[in-house]
Amino acid sequence: MRKKWLGLGLSLVLAVGIAGCGGNDNNNANGGSTNGKSEGSTETPTAETGQPVQLKYWTDDRHDQEYIKELINKFNETNEDNIQVELTVMSENYTQSVDIAFSSNQAPDVLRLKSANTSGFVKKGYLAPIDEYLTDDMNTKFGSLLIDEVNRFDGKVYTLANTGLTLRLVYNKDLFAKAGIENPPVSLQEMVDDAKKITEVGKAEGIYGFALNFKNPKQAFDRSIREILSLSGHQGLGFDLKTGQFDFEPYAQVIEYFKQMYADGSILPGAEALDIDPLRAQFAAGKIGMYLSFSTEPGVYMDQFPTEINWGGALAPTLDGQIKGTSEIVSAGTWLGISAQSANKEAAWKFIQYMYGDEILKTYHEKGFGIAIVPSIVEQAKEPEIGGMEGFLVGEHDSLWPVSPNITPEGSNYADAFFKYILEGGDTKAITEDLNTRYNAALSTAVEKGEATATPNPAFDPTKPQGE
Amino acid sequence: MSFKWKRLGENSLFLAPSIILTTALGIYPLFWMLRYMFYEYAGYGQPLFVGLDNFHRLMRDALFWESVGNTFIYAGGKLLLTLPLSLLLAVILNGKLRGGNLLRGIYFMPTIISTAVISVVFYTIFNSYNGMVNTVLMKLHLVSQPIDWLGPKHAMLTVILVAVWGAVGNYMLLFLAGLQSIPQDLYESAAIDGANAGRRFWNITLPMLAPVAQLVIMLAIIASLKGYESIMLITEGGPIGKTEVMYLYLYKLLFPVSTGSPVEQQLGYGSAVGFATAVIVGAITGLYFLLSRKMNKMY
Repeated sequence: MRKKWLGLGLSLVLAVGIAGCGGNDNNNANGGSTNGKSEGSTETPTAETGQPVQLKYWTDDRHDQEYIKELINKFNETNEDNIQVELTVMSENYTQSVDIAFSSNQAPDVLRLKSANTSGFVKKGYLAPIDEYLTDDMNTKFGSLLIDEVNRFDGKVYTLANTGLTLRLVYNKDLFAKAGIENPPVSLQEMVDDAKKITEVGKAEGIYGFALNFKNPKQAFDRSIREILSLSGHQGLGFDLKTGQFDFEPYAQVIEYFKQMYADGSILPGAEALDIDPLRAQFAAGKIGMYLSFSTEPGVYMDQFPTEINWGGALAPTLDGQIKGTSEIVSAGTWLGISAQSANKEAAWKFIQYMYGDEILKTYHEKGFGIAIVPSIVEQAKEPEIGGMEGFLVGEHDSLWPVSPNITPEGSNYADAFFKYILEGGDTKAITEDLNTRYNAALSTAVEKGEATATPNPAFDPTKPQGE
Repeated sequence: MSFKWKRLGENSLFLAPSIILTTALGIYPLFWMLRYMFYEYAGYGQPLFVGLDNFHRLMRDALFWESVGNTFIYAGGKLLLTLPLSLLLAVILNGKLRGGNLLRGIYFMPTIISTAVISVVFYTIFNSYNGMVNTVLMKLHLVSQPIDWLGPKHAMLTVILVAVWGAVGNYMLLFLAGLQSIPQDLYESAAIDGANAGRRFWNITLPMLAPVAQLVIMLAIIASLKGYESIMLITEGGPIGKTEVMYLYLYKLLFPVSTGSPVEQQLGYGSAVGFATAVIVGAITGLYFLLSRKMNKMY
């Protein structure tokens, strides 16, 4: 008899297993909305019962973890609301881990948000708006940095700014001097000429004028052409903010100079298969004249690839040597957010408020973990303690830009299409038109479905991208 | 309780683990894919039913068809080099060779090394700026300029060589197992009849090995059509799509590798591409099985 029950029991397990699998996609499809039960209803003022309020804080930032741990310990010891924060530092697959946590109702209370994942998290219903908590002081402090589709979605604010990344031309001063070049290039023509000169002088020793991590062309161009264009007065990812449409014509102009460097043989051989870290290793070894990248580079050359070379960061060159726009500050506008599933949103906000305090934001900048972009912090903070950072600091030519719509067109993306042109040639006009057609088609579909907005702003001024 | 019920209970117990795992990890994802290939779905929100739109897109998707072409070049190149080489090594090691066991172990080693490690090692061997291959070639004055092994012209050749290096030991071992099942007396009687080594190989080894070879070749075909891991790590399908094979293309749709501004998952279209690639691999394998029927009855 027992075995009979065992057999039946197993069949039941199987049936439940299959049914359980079937139910899964409903959870996914509805995102956070299925988790509504935990919202509000279980928000208990646990401090009154004497039990500490436990908060989970997840981040994928590793570079600042010692400092963050220090801050959390201090918060845990000093806060008067009996709140205890537990930090989890993820290494890889942060977004996937967050997805799994939310679908299994084990989400953290506080999350590190980045511009690459915030909109996805909001769409999936993971985040709670923080408007109701914002004090007047905070509105004044962060008000100028509230940007649609970055930290504000459908009029609701989900996170606030702390730091951003600037992009610069990173150049080897020794090689420039060796080639008889005094200053970093300010126009693309100068960049092409300088790269050629450096290659001529250094080729025998395996030294080349220019390189980028072309293994993934989009990553390469989004850290170089994006900045060249924004400083030249055009949106850096091919979107025309004035017309609200994609127009890759300015992009194609920049590409011509890159193609020229390739034809001149000024680009490090094998750059087609180069990742960013091997590129940095070659730069640190003094084999590359210049490349363009984020303000993370000073930290990299301090810890990851310590180098003897004399290097610096300078504003990106522009199309014609004239600065007609501002250098876009990227990955900015987001830092900490509250989970929609959290049972302790009030406590989570108290922790967040502590983290966004002036002293912490200031020290974060001064220790070189990120470049402060909050105006009141920029005013107070001293220069970061990392060598080389001086070339990357936010200056008069840096600003945040409005967001360009995030769409996925059919066929190859702009970077792959233009990189193919650089290597194999072709009709640049036809390539540009094809990109415009495909990107605008995808844009209008996304707008129809309500997944993107593209409002033309004929008065857009690239020297004041935020309109002030 | 009747004997029949008792047996049913016992059998269920034994079958349960594999049934549960197959259902959860094999059948359920399959049905998931078969459903979502008719939807547009980015991993969140409500999936949108689009009928056959994904398949219309597939037909006009030049990148996909290029990746199919690349897959044939990659798989063809890999098979042409791997199979003869592994058979040759198996025949050599099947003889009474001093240190044969050690060599077997060495040749088999790539099979158990992680693809990620292999890829990093081969990247350092083949990269153009300070790779070992170029350094040696230039030291020997065989070339004056570094060869761009991972550039658009040679990248496919390079990833094929890496794949061959990784696969030879594995198929060698399978061939070796087949060779060792051939009765020795056949060779002895052939030797008495005056057959030389070449003749013995041609008239005894090959026919006797045919049933094993049929299976090994089929496994090799499937593996080479589906292989993409080392390519993803070495070239990521580049430069300019020259090494983009269809499973890598599929992988990128389902798990976008590009960072920077976010690239969306395309689970619906990815499912359609997954279905198409499965049909292609299935059709080629089926065709091979049809054409190789005779190998099973060669002796």
